[in-house]
Amino acid sequence: MYKIMMFSGGVYKFNELKELTQDIGGFILQEMVMQMETMLHLAFPAEEEKVIRNKVKEIGGKLIELPLAGAEIMIVVPSLGRHHAVNPMCDVAEFLRRKGAITNMMGLSRGVGKRIAQMTVEEKRIIEECDAAVFIFGNFRECIEDKARLCEGLEIPYIIAGGPPELDIPHYVGNIGRRTERMKRKHEIESLEKMAEALRTELDVRRREIEEDPLATSPLFLKELIDMTIPPKPGEEFSTIIHLDGLRVKLEPGEEKIIRDIEIQNRKLSEICEIRKSLYEGYLLKILPEAETGSVF
Amino acid sequence: MEVKVEGGDEFANASYSRICQNVFREVGLHSNVDNVYLYCDPSEHVFVISVKIGRVPRPITVNDMTLRGDNRLKITDEKYAPKLLALLWDRFDDRVKQLSRLEITVDVEAKEMEELMKMVVYEPLADLNIRILDAVDRILPEGARVRYPLPSPGRVTIIASENPVSEEWKEKVEEMVTELEKGGQ
Repeated sequence: MYKIMMFSGGVYKFNELKELTQDIGGFILQEMVMQMETMLHLAFPAEEEKVIRNKVKEIGGKLIELPLAGAEIMIVVPSLGRHHAVNPMCDVAEFLRRKGAITNMMGLSRGVGKRIAQMTVEEKRIIEECDAAVFIFGNFRECIEDKARLCEGLEIPYIIAGGPPELDIPHYVGNIGRRTERMKRKHEIESLEKMAEALRTELDVRRREIEEDPLATSPLFLKELIDMTIPPKPGEEFSTIIHLDGLRVKLEPGEEKIIRDIEIQNRKLSEICEIRKSLYEGYLLKILPEAETGSVF
Repeated sequence: MEVKVEGGDEFANASYSRICQNVFREVGLHSNVDNVYLYCDPSEHVFVISVKIGRVPRPITVNDMTLRGDNRLKITDEKYAPKLLALLWDRFDDRVKQLSRLEITVDVEAKEMEELMKMVVYEPLADLNIRILDAVDRILPEGARVRYPLPSPGRVTIIASENPVSEEWKEKVEEMVTELEKGGQ
């Protein structure tokens, strides 16, 4: 089981940290050097945390927990109008990114109103491509209770965020409703913390399910392999996005075949993954469980 | 500007009161509106907003936004600069020259220059209704797309819903507006 953390510190000996991470079987997921500051997202085996902590202590810097790392989360609002954007939609997305998640934002085509609110099958499929979803509905209790029906059929973990502090509907987090100013006060940050915690709990259930029925290979390992075969284009960020049970890979036309033929031990990638074109962006690789593919290594 | 929100639960009323205050401040109408009354009925999905128009600022003249030196004008409030230039080009054509971002020369006689200084650059009353309707549109929930306006002097009242607005609601809102007028809101 890999643990994903963020290192934040100076450039002094930070290459040693990178080498150590790779030596103990870990991965560098993101790297950003800004003059004298560095930021690294590290994934390493959970049991090796002490080794990493000791190294960070030696070179000076901070290790920050990223509870939502390795998950792509969709923020869904009833529309992309100014009633929902930029606040609170971007506040929520920014906060989740700080917790390590990759976020996408989506406005429903016919999501506004109470009785007339609906979600199309295609929108539902796009949302289900991600690991989890956060729905931000408004401030009226009656509307939120009614609109909760939109999320019922979803096959991924989700959170419903709304204004009223308490509501008797499943997966509900309060105090994040319609607003016209940025969420920056202490009690607002606490509400966002509560939402991130609720999301982590939902994702942990999925993570446990995957642990019980392990995947043929880790998405982190696969990302490294794909990045080696098709190096990210200059200036391109997040060409490969990690999911809990797979990857989203942004490919140029014709590169799909190269991906399918990547060899892992004696197997091809297409034998251990379901590869399909995403309705949203790139290609989705869903890694099959080891029980289905047999041992790869 | 006073804001009163009724009809919803305690949380919804408080949050929409804040939204009203912020939106009117954003569109720059905070001091031009006396009262805003918002009635929310989320169970029937009917929202009523009634805005009482207050004091409207006087028209902005060239004198208000520039400093004069013979035939030279120095813009002191850049917000109105595009409107001023459009006005001067329209009236004096190529006799107007923009020397720098904030400096303009107008090749006219002294008497004509005095008349020029009295010309109206911006009339706030002209687009007041548009700005109020913009604010109302930002406040009312997006789903309430069926709108029914109730005209009355010095006041903008709009009934909004996702369903057709019934006669019953129209009558109810007319009574509401009469009560507001009586109460001075």
